[in-house]
Amino acid sequence: MIELQTSRLTLRLPMLADWPAYRDFYASDAAKHIGGPLPAVRSWYYFAGDRGHWDLHGFGWFTLDDGRGAVGTCGLHIPPHHADVEIGWNVYGAGQGKGYATEAARAVLDWAPSVTDAQRIVSYIDRGNTASKRVAEKLGADFTGEMAAHDPDCEVWLHQRRAA
Amino acid sequence: MIIPTLQTDRLTLRGPEAGDWPAFRDHFLSDRSIYTGGPYEDPKRAWILFAAEIGHWHLHGFGMWSVTLKDGTPIGLVGCWYPDGWPEKEIGWLIWEPYEGKGYASEAAEAARAQCYGRFGWKTAVSYIHRDNARSIALAKRLGCVLDAKAAHPNPDALVYRHPSPEEVAA
Repeated sequence: MIELQTSRLTLRLPMLADWPAYRDFYASDAAKHIGGPLPAVRSWYYFAGDRGHWDLHGFGWFTLDDGRGAVGTCGLHIPPHHADVEIGWNVYGAGQGKGYATEAARAVLDWAPSVTDAQRIVSYIDRGNTASKRVAEKLGADFTGEMAAHDPDCEVWLHQRRAA
Repeated sequence: MIIPTLQTDRLTLRGPEAGDWPAFRDHFLSDRSIYTGGPYEDPKRAWILFAAEIGHWHLHGFGMWSVTLKDGTPIGLVGCWYPDGWPEKEIGWLIWEPYEGKGYASEAAEAARAQCYGRFGWKTAVSYIHRDNARSIALAKRLGCVLDAKAAHPNPDALVYRHPSPEEVAA
């Protein structure tokens, strides 16, 4: 069982108990930069797909757990329509403003070389998603000046390479 | 969890794998998927569904198997399905076009149903079938299912076919 620890969070594989928080996040305006808001009958497939990605690639999305339950997600993924492995992060309403996304993403970036030999790890960030861009900056990523091939509204942010 | 592998006379049922994706994608981008939520204009949606087929196993402990011929050729997905919005646990089947009409769906569905009632401990099972999907309705009847007009459905186009009980299947 893959699990990462940070000072305040446990990063663990998604499980069914995480669904209500995931559903509520995707149904809210907070999901507007990541394809939402979506009704539960749509977002359930994202949720189950996040878990399924682990079997397909050996890495995927973690649930962020603050000890009382799911407060967000963070992980690596490479859907077939993406040019590069992406690190993504979503922190749900109650957990926002605490630096959870940066904390979790640092742990995922440190872990990444052990599960993928990808030369580039990027974040595709909607041009209007200033909060997420701020996280990318804190992580040391740079805006490449390019927009994502799969989504003209998403900026491509390139993360610094970690040693394996 | 480790997804169990099943064998029937002509088929192997195993967990979905990355190599199953192209045929799955082609199915959901084609009119063949018209009765099961498709066709999708955007392959992204098909991929999320494909990944969800696998995640479903880990979330629920049961899910859809990839059905292959004995030479390994993937021919569809058959098994257990219980996403958000489903009133009950379902036995579902999708067979890719070149492999239709050979009785593969019923052979795989019988094997899957035996697992639902055995390993997974289900007391009942339904199949939700679009009212215009005559082939699938015929298959449900061959499997002994009967229309359950009183049961809740996931959407207004779906008919609910209830499978014979564990006791009836065993008899």
